[in-house]
Parts: sequence; C-alpha cells; structure tokens
Amino acid sequence: MSLRSHGAPSVRDALYEAPGPRTRRLIAVGTTVSALLVCALLALVVRQFYVTGQLAPRYWSFFAEWPIWRFLLQGFVGTVEVALTAGAIALVLGLALMLGRTSGVRPLSAVCRVVTDFFRGVPSLLLIYFFFLVVPQYGIRMPAFWMLTLPVALAASGVLAEVFRAGVNAVPKGQVEAAYSIGLSRWKTMRLIVLPQAIRYVIPSLIAQLVVVVKDTTVAYVVSYPDLMQNARVLITNYDALLSMYLVVSVIYILINFAINKASVYVARRTGVKIIR
Amino acid sequence: MAQESTADKNVPVIELRHVDKHYGDLHVLRDVSLSVARGEVLVVIGPSGSGKSTMCRTINRLETIDSGEILIEGEPLPQEGRELARMRSELGMVFQQFNLFAHKTILENVTLGPREVLGQSKEEAEKYAMELLERVGVASQAHKVPAQLSGGQQQRAAIARSLAMRPKAMMFDEPTSALDPEMINEVLDVMVELARGGMTMVVVTHEMNFARRVADRVVFMADGQIVEEGTPDEFFDHPKTQRARDFLDSIKGH
Repeated sequence: MSLRSHGAPSVRDALYEAPGPRTRRLIAVGTTVSALLVCALLALVVRQFYVTGQLAPRYWSFFAEWPIWRFLLQGFVGTVEVALTAGAIALVLGLALMLGRTSGVRPLSAVCRVVTDFFRGVPSLLLIYFFFLVVPQYGIRMPAFWMLTLPVALAASGVLAEVFRAGVNAVPKGQVEAAYSIGLSRWKTMRLIVLPQAIRYVIPSLIAQLVVVVKDTTVAYVVSYPDLMQNARVLITNYDALLSMYLVVSVIYILINFAINKASVYVARRTGVKIIR
Repeated sequence: MAQESTADKNVPVIELRHVDKHYGDLHVLRDVSLSVARGEVLVVIGPSGSGKSTMCRTINRLETIDSGEILIEGEPLPQEGRELARMRSELGMVFQQFNLFAHKTILENVTLGPREVLGQSKEEAEKYAMELLERVGVASQAHKVPAQLSGGQQQRAAIARSLAMRPKAMMFDEPTSALDPEMINEVLDVMVELARGGMTMVVVTHEMNFARRVADRVVFMADGQIVEEGTPDEFFDHPKTQRARDFLDSIKGH
C-alpha cells in the first residue's frame, strides 16, 4: 500500500488518521484475504458458466462479426443521444425550478417546489408510461425519441433542482451581503455572484446525475426506441444468447459511466481550484 | 450632539432614531439613537454581544429593525427593491470576513459594482479601480483571486471595492478582527488615510489606539444600548459610567 506523502489531501486523509504499524499489518492481511476471496468467487462463476454450457462457442462466436457490433454501436449512439438531450433539458429545467423556488415570490416558489418534489418522487418508468400511453390519447403524437427523452429529463430535473439548491445554499452568506452592499439587485446577485460559485460546487454531483440519466434510458424498450439496451434485446432474441449479450452490454454501460465519472473528476479539478478557501 | 468642528451641513449623513431590534427574546438594540455628521469618524466600541455590529449592519439594512427610524441624508432608508439597492450602493460596507467575491479576480471585484450598478464602461471602471488598488497598496495583486491574497491584502482590496462606488459614507464592521496581528496595521493605515481625506465613517472596532487617534467621537455600547459617547479623550481618560470604566479596565494591556 502506498502512503501519499504529498499532493492534495484526500477525503481519506481528512477522515482517518495515518495507520500505525499494527494497523498496517492488519490492512495487509485483510487485503490479501479479500483478494483471494474475490479470485475464488470469479473462478467459481467461470466454472459454473462452463458447467452450464454458457461458454459454448455459439453464445460468443457472433461477437466476431462486424454487423453485430455495428448494431450495438447504433444502440450506443441512440443511448448517448437520449442521455445528452435529456441531460441538457434537465439542467435547464432544474436550474429554472431552483430559481423559481428560491425567488421569494410565494406562489411561484410553491409551484416550483411541488413540481420539483413531484418529478423527484415519481419513478421515471411511470413518467415514461405517461408519455407513452396517456399523452397520445390527447392526440399528441411524438416520436419514440421524445417519449423517452422527455420523461427521463423531467425525472432528472427534479433531482438537479435540489442539487442546484444545495449549491446555492453552500455559497457563504457574506458573498450575498457583499453583493447587496455594493447595490446589486437580487437577480444580479444570484446571476453574477451566487450561481457561478454554486455551480462550481455542484459540478461533480451534476455529472454524477448524468450517470443516473444514462441508466434511466435503458427502459427505452417500453417505447421501442433503439438504444443500446433495446438493440441488445433484439440480438438476444435472434441468437438466443442471453447471458453473453447482457455481460457485454453491461461492460459497455460500465465503460460509459466510468468515462462520465472521469470527466467529472477532471472538470471538478479544473474549475474547483479557483475558489478553494 | 453633532460635532461642531466637522458638521458643515446641518443634515446628518446617517441618523438612527429610537431603533429597537429583537432576536426572539433577546433585545439586541434598545432605543438606539445616533447621528453621524458629514466627514465625521464615529468609532463604536463595546464588549462582544453589545449590539454594535448589528447596529452597524442595520444602516444598510443587512439587518432589519423592529421599530424606530433610520435616515440617510434625511431620507428614510428604503425597505426594498431598487431604492434600497441604490441607497446601499451609496454606502460602503467593509466586513470582518472581507467577503471578496471568491470566483472573481481582485480587479473584477472592484469593477463589478461600478460596471453593473453605476453602468460605467470597462475601461472607465478599471482605470479608477487600479487607482484605488494603488492607493490601498494591492495593485500588484489585481489579477489574482482573493484566496491567493493574505487577509490584510484582502481587506484592503475590500475597502477599494467599497470606495469604487464613491460612497457618501463607509461602515466598517470589525474590519481587523479576522486578521493576523501583523496585518492589522496595514488595514488601519488605509482607514486612517481615508479618515484624513474627509470620508464619513462608522467604525465598529476593538482597536482602541485607532479609536483614540482617528475618532471624532466614540460611542460605547453595552447590552444593546448606547451607554456613553464623547470625544476620544473624554471617553478614554474620563469615562462617565461605571460600565465604560469596567470595559476599559478589562481591555487594558498587560
């Protein structure tokens, strides 16, 4: 185990004191034992796959064909399109809901609060059913893309509104007082002083929420939108290869979300530095 | 009550009439009446919890009052909206914690008010800002963000930020209380220079030497009340009340 001697202090450094010799031995033993256990478990899984015939070539050989990957790639693009669009809508809407809620105008603030809590509380699948089954009954026809994107965006906007509010509350009160005392209006104080700082605080949470959005898009099959998950399901039916396909697809999702997390760390580092007190 | 020497106009710049304020059961301001003449330097001292900071903050309505009146150049302090914002823009405020805008450079901190409130052009605002930063001695730090400056430099920049609005009066709410001892004087020097330049000032502070040297009038507060006021010499050498004598005894150096 490497002890960090320099560089930025991590959360771990702040929460735990540096281990002494006895603790270090204990950690070494624990690390070895748990590594062995994980290896054993993996071996067991692979063996079980082998025994049940899941490693048979017919479940895996089609991954060597380009059209399969192209089809999955199309699904991947579909997932990314929905996730980015929904994420963008949710950002704008979440910000608007937060501004409404903190506006100080009672009726507006009450409405925004109810809307925020509603979207935050209702499962996104339910919202999707609403857009898929209920909305068309009122004669509003929209493409599958929007029947998926809008509900996912709405669900996320409720959460993002709260994330933004947490950020705004985290800005020290003195910043607002200083802004007021040079004569800035309420709105200019929010726009020029509070929001820029609040957004820097919450960038990691905002990007983490994008992970949730990506995962929410997997219910695309409800509206038959060809995202990664939906295309994987089509392949599963064609090749009767449930396990191998799901394994590969989950790896792809993990990679997407891993990339998002990396991006969040990068962005947080780049923008956070400036205001560390 | 007004100082004959400095009051060249009859209307006080700042006037409090019978101001009362409660925090729940706590009576933080009791019937506070006070007036500050043009060019006058008023220093407010008193034990912590005496309401002196609160009093200072009511003058630009960072704290509301329960009853009484606050007049700025004879006009009642507006309660909200554009009128309040305009009045605040004409009164400078310097905080204990500096409160520089953390995400902006020092220069941006100083130009923000003039550009956004007074509608000055970038060039105009920056020219005056650099003059002010020069005056308070942090011009070389203009393009850094507040976190890169020492406390003393931040507070001097904060004073420049207030001055950029060309205020009628400046309030200082314990401006040196958050500073390391070696940085206190650099801030006080700037304030002394301001006072000599004729700025109307209300200074809440624990710096007794500053009060003695610069104040036209000292106000002593305790338990939310103005207990005593007078010239620095009267107050420090011949305090009239027991409360003030106890306070002065308690802060005497070792």
